[in-house]
Amino acid sequence: MTLLKEFTKGFIKENPVFVMALGLCPTLAVTSSVENAIGMGLAATFVLVFSNIFISLIKNLIPSKIRIPAYIVVIASFVTIVDMVMNAYLPAIHKSLGLFIPLIVVNCIILGRAEAFASKNNVFRSILDGLGMGIGFTLALVVIGGIREVLGAGQFLGYNLFPETFQPMLVAILAPGAFIVMGLLMGLMNLKKKK
Amino acid sequence: MKYYLKLGFVLLIITAIASGVLAYLNTITQPIIEENQRVAQEKARKEVLPSALTFEEIAGDLIYHIGKDAEENIVGYTFVASLYGYSGDVKTMVGVNTDLVIEKIKIISQSETPGLGANCEKPEFQMQFSGKQQTEMKVDKDGGTIVSLTGATITTRTIANSIKAAMDKLDIPAEQTEGGVE
Amino acid sequence: MEFVGKILFMAVMAIFVQNFVLMRFLGLCPYIGVSKKLDSALGMGMAVIFVMTMASTFTWLIHTYLLVPLHIEFLQTIAFILTIASLVQLVEMVIQKTAPALYKSLGVFLPLITTNCAVLGVAILNIQSEYNFLLAILNGFFAGIGFTLVLILMAGIRERLERAELPVSMKGMPISMIVAGSMALAFLGFSGLKF
Repeated sequence: MTLLKEFTKGFIKENPVFVMALGLCPTLAVTSSVENAIGMGLAATFVLVFSNIFISLIKNLIPSKIRIPAYIVVIASFVTIVDMVMNAYLPAIHKSLGLFIPLIVVNCIILGRAEAFASKNNVFRSILDGLGMGIGFTLALVVIGGIREVLGAGQFLGYNLFPETFQPMLVAILAPGAFIVMGLLMGLMNLKKKK
Repeated sequence: MKYYLKLGFVLLIITAIASGVLAYLNTITQPIIEENQRVAQEKARKEVLPSALTFEEIAGDLIYHIGKDAEENIVGYTFVASLYGYSGDVKTMVGVNTDLVIEKIKIISQSETPGLGANCEKPEFQMQFSGKQQTEMKVDKDGGTIVSLTGATITTRTIANSIKAAMDKLDIPAEQTEGGVE
Repeated sequence: MEFVGKILFMAVMAIFVQNFVLMRFLGLCPYIGVSKKLDSALGMGMAVIFVMTMASTFTWLIHTYLLVPLHIEFLQTIAFILTIASLVQLVEMVIQKTAPALYKSLGVFLPLITTNCAVLGVAILNIQSEYNFLLAILNGFFAGIGFTLVLILMAGIRERLERAELPVSMKGMPISMIVAGSMALAFLGFSGLKF
C-alpha cells in the first residue's frame, strides 16, 4: 500500500468507529459536546501514535507468548502520561472526560492496531497508520459530537447558535440520544457504501 | 521452566522501564496538579466572599475557612455544602458574613440533568440565595422563599437542604459571631 | 437493617439507575458483538459477572495495600489492567477445561473481556467512590448483573429482529444501536429513584 493510502485509510474507508465499530464506549460517552470530542480524539491519537511507535520498535524483542501483556503495558504507560499531563495543564477537559481518559487503555482501536499493524510493520508506516486511525477516530467523534451538541444544546463549541427561546432536543445529549444518533449515522454510512 | 522465567523477565523489564518513566513524570506533574486544585478552591472561596483577602482553614466535623480582610478583621466564613441530588452529589461553596447571612453561593460540582437541574449553575438561580439566612433555606413548594428551577424541584431542594445541614455543623466560637475583630 | 437497605440501594443504582451499559456507556463492544443469540449472551454475562466481581476484589486490594502505601497511585492504570488481563487469562483456562462447549461458543469474545471498559471502569469507579472492601466487591457484582441484564434483553430483541423487515442499510449494527437507544430511554425513567 502506498504511504499516502496508509495514512488516509483511517479517515473514511477503514474508519475505526463507523466501519470497524471499534472504540464505541468513549465515542458515545464523550460526544455530548464538540470540545470533549476533540479532547478525547487528540488524547487517543497521541496514545495510538506513540504506542504504535514503541511497539513497532520492540516488536522483535518480545516473545510472542507475552506480546499482548507487553503491548498493554506500553499502551497503559502512554495513557498514564496523557492522564498526568492533561490533569496538570488542561484540568477543565481532564475533569469533563473523567473516567474515560484511563479507559483509553481498553479502547479496542489502540490494542487492535498494535496487534494488527504495528507488530508487523516498520516504525514509519506504524506512525502513519496510528496518525490516520487517530484522525479518523477524532473525525468520527467530532461529527457525532457536533450533531449532538447542536441538536441537544443549541450550541457548537459552547457558542449559542440559536436565539434564547430555542428549546433544544435535550435527549440528544443524554444517553438515549447518543445511541440513536450513532445508529442513524451508521445506517447512513451503510447506505453510502452500497452506492 | 527457564522459558517461563525468560518471559516473566522480559515483562518485568518493560514494566520497570514504564514505571520509571512514569515516576519521573509524576514528580513534575503532581505539584502542578495540587497547585491547580488549591488555586481553584481559593478562587471559589473568593467568589462567594468577595470582601475577604485571606482564608484560614479550620478543621472539624465540617471544614470551613475564616475569611479576613487586609486589616485581619474577620469578614465571614466559607464552607462546602454537599448532598446527593437527582443523579449525583451537588456540591455548593457558600460564603456567609459574620452574622451568618449568606453573601453568595457557587455550585462547584453537579451532575444533574442538563437543561433542568443543571441550570442550577446559572447565576440568576444562585443570586437568590444571597442575603438569606439558614432559617430561610426552604423551597417555595415547601412554603419557603427559594424559587425552584423549572422542572427541577428536587435539585433546588437538595441545594437548600445541603446548605441548611452544613450550617448546622458549622462550629464557630460564640465570640466571633457578633462580628468584629478577633 | 440499614445496612441491607444500603446494599439494596447500591444494587438498584448499579443495575437500573446508573446501568453500566445504557447510562455509563461502559461495556459496549461485547454488548454489540455477543448479544445476537440468547444462550451465548447468557454465557458471556456469567463470565463477565465473575470477572467484574473478581477484578473489583483484586484491584481494590492492590490499590489499598500496594499503591497507596508506596505512594505510587499513578501506576493505577497499568496495575489494574495487568490484573484484569491475568484474571481473564485464568478464567479462560478454567472454562476451557471445565466447559469446552461454552469456550467454543464464546470464541474470541472471552479474551476480549480484558478490553471490556466495564471491567476496568468499575474497578476505577470503586476507588473514586471510596468504597470499602465489601462495597467494592458488591458494586462489581451488581454492575456485572446490570450488564448481563441488558445483554440478555438485547439478545432477546435481536433474535426477533432477525425476522423483521428492515431497510437494508439499517440491518445489523444501526438497528441494534437504535434498539439500545430505546432501552436507554426506558432506563432513563429510573433516574431520580432513591429510597
